[in-house]
Amino acid sequence: MAQSRREFLKTAALGAGVAGFPAVARAQGGKIVVWWNKGYYPEEDIAMQKIVKEFEAKHKVEVDLSFTAQEDLLKKITAALIARRTPDVAFCFYNDWQVVPKYGWDDKLTDVSDVIKELKPRYNEKMLEVAYVLNNKTKKRAYYGVPIEAQTMHIHYWRDLLREAGMEDDPAKIPLKWDDYWSFWKKAQEALRKKDPAKYGKLYGIGMTESTRASDTMYNFEMALLSFNGEILDKGGKIVADQPKNKKAIVDTLKFFGDLFTSGYVPPDATNWTDGDNNAGFHSRTLVMTPNPSQSIPAAQFFNKDDAEKKNYFDNMATIEWPDGPDGKKARYLSAVKTIIIPKDSKNQAKAKDFIKFVVEKDRFFEYIKAANGRWFPAFTDVAADSFWKEGHKGPKGQKDLHVPVATKIFLERDNKVFEHYKHPALSQVYDEFAYAKAISRIITDKWPAEKAADEMIERMKAIFAQYK
Amino acid sequence: MSPTTREGGLSALPRAVVGSRLPAVLRSPTLQGFVFTAPLLLLFAAFVVYPMLSGLYAATDPDSYRAIFGDPVFRQTVSNTLWYVVVAVNVKLVLALLLSGILDYPFLSIRVLAALFLIPWAIPALPGILSFRWMLNSQWGIFNHLLTKLGFESVPWLAQHDTALAFVIIFHIWKYLPFWTIIFLAGRRAIPNELYEAAAIDGGGVVQSFFSITFPLLKSLYLICTLLSMVFTLGDFTVPWLLTGGAPGDTTHVLATLAYRYTFAMGRLEWGLSTFAVALPVTLLFIGMLMRWVKI
Repeated sequence: MAQSRREFLKTAALGAGVAGFPAVARAQGGKIVVWWNKGYYPEEDIAMQKIVKEFEAKHKVEVDLSFTAQEDLLKKITAALIARRTPDVAFCFYNDWQVVPKYGWDDKLTDVSDVIKELKPRYNEKMLEVAYVLNNKTKKRAYYGVPIEAQTMHIHYWRDLLREAGMEDDPAKIPLKWDDYWSFWKKAQEALRKKDPAKYGKLYGIGMTESTRASDTMYNFEMALLSFNGEILDKGGKIVADQPKNKKAIVDTLKFFGDLFTSGYVPPDATNWTDGDNNAGFHSRTLVMTPNPSQSIPAAQFFNKDDAEKKNYFDNMATIEWPDGPDGKKARYLSAVKTIIIPKDSKNQAKAKDFIKFVVEKDRFFEYIKAANGRWFPAFTDVAADSFWKEGHKGPKGQKDLHVPVATKIFLERDNKVFEHYKHPALSQVYDEFAYAKAISRIITDKWPAEKAADEMIERMKAIFAQYK
Repeated sequence: MSPTTREGGLSALPRAVVGSRLPAVLRSPTLQGFVFTAPLLLLFAAFVVYPMLSGLYAATDPDSYRAIFGDPVFRQTVSNTLWYVVVAVNVKLVLALLLSGILDYPFLSIRVLAALFLIPWAIPALPGILSFRWMLNSQWGIFNHLLTKLGFESVPWLAQHDTALAFVIIFHIWKYLPFWTIIFLAGRRAIPNELYEAAAIDGGGVVQSFFSITFPLLKSLYLICTLLSMVFTLGDFTVPWLLTGGAPGDTTHVLATLAYRYTFAMGRLEWGLSTFAVALPVTLLFIGMLMRWVKI
């Protein structure tokens, strides 16, 4: 009976995946169908189109390349995997946490361990773990994706707003001790509002996303949890959130987010934000600072056509690190490593693997990833060795880049690990359900004590893990 | 046109034309009816009956129900859906019934007002919802701007459950009120004027006429509209999803948005189908009542 139901699910999902049908049908005829995440900047798409043309010329094979925005692409990939009408290659920014753990577990992805083995000498090995997931059918781990680029946590702020508030704006002089750090932005809000209530009356010091609609929330929570020395899973992927040390860290983390919000230094709509809303708030200068898990904000300013001299990028804003933990230890970071998959139902797996290997060749991949202007950090050490990642862009007046090198430092010099959904697919569902954001909401919206919210969250996590047998 | 061709069917044609060439079984009107309606029946079977039955079959997995009933978001969602359907539909239809009376007056100003009144229904939902979101933004929105100008505190309209759900309901009413008003207006215009004239001669006022003539004669239409609107609203996805997306804290989902979230955000199609299946008895009840009422 269960098998029949699955059969139906495949059929029913066809409807949802209908947009990809013509391309998928062509895949049967020898073409490679590639679904690629639409870039944030046109340059990224152009770079990928160039790669595809080169591949077609070299391998004498046609590639059907389509670009789709990430939210829609995830749904398209999900429907295609359930319906078993898949492309040959799919790259979505959500693959790492919403596709690889779950569909690797369900045996719907191609084992690409051979590709990884070939590329292994080039990899930043810390980033490889993300695709090494458990298959519930074979009961073994294998690589079910090819990691290519990563994002991690950065904090961006307006230097000119700090100057206007009469505060220190040099990134090297921003206090990094936990309490001092958060107080610093609160003071900035107070000073600006006091200085010019008409202009800054609705400005907030901290653009912290705390919503069930944004993956940024998950990132923010996990970063803070690391600062409080909390763990959700042990090394083997067993849930340990209810152990006293970890539970205390979860409670402290929830209290931190609750207090930050209720003290009035975070915009009230932050509980309703999507991933782009803190970016929008920052660009419109109604936030002094915002944590953001990628370099999308400075990258957008770099491409800002209204700022020909790139004054915002080079002079008016800066990127700094997450603060040291409350225990005084240097911040530990999490990376989300973006991953290409080959569905198991691909009819052209060999060509698909050739295509991936072609894309990630050093010079070619450098050209592609550089088009994102530092938004992503390469998973390959040879690409990351380029001086661009250490120095970034040069300003028109010789200014130093205050963004890209900070990200590089975080990736290469700090304690940085990948998100742990690779350890167990249930954690991926915990993220899907925005369990952390819901617990924060319990405190903010329902006025629950942090302990009660933590208990509910931990119970829910345990229930989710129990579903995976 | 001869009666033969009006009745249609091969058997109705003169025997000399087809009768001698077709075996008796093929001359059966029932068979001919099936043959001619077969394309439609096949399409109906493929795109309505099969997905529905298969969906129901897939939604019979008890594990899915255990999972969704164990999810605190689901319980909240059922409550939200009830609020949404009961409040939005009833407030909207009562207002529509009353407004249809105003729009029935034959004045130019009323016609202009009626044209303006139709705008929310005519514009696509997305720009309307985005405008609402913008107006409700706690930092820059016009609502809070006015509140703070008047000396009140800002309200995080979409960042707290009660106000967020209230605005989902308000937007629904704003958007769909004109449609139902026009339906009731058409119903009012079908009432013979003589009845109102007779009531006026007997000294009946506006209120008496409404309760003694308008409402009794519109009662059937009103109930049909209520049932139809309940069916539509129960499955409404656009308004709640685009206005709140379930936020804050996944507290403002309705069944349609939660099913979407289960299916596409979490890749759990069977949970999504089970969520819809939970609403199915209510929907079928409404449809059954509707069919009985209009004697289909």
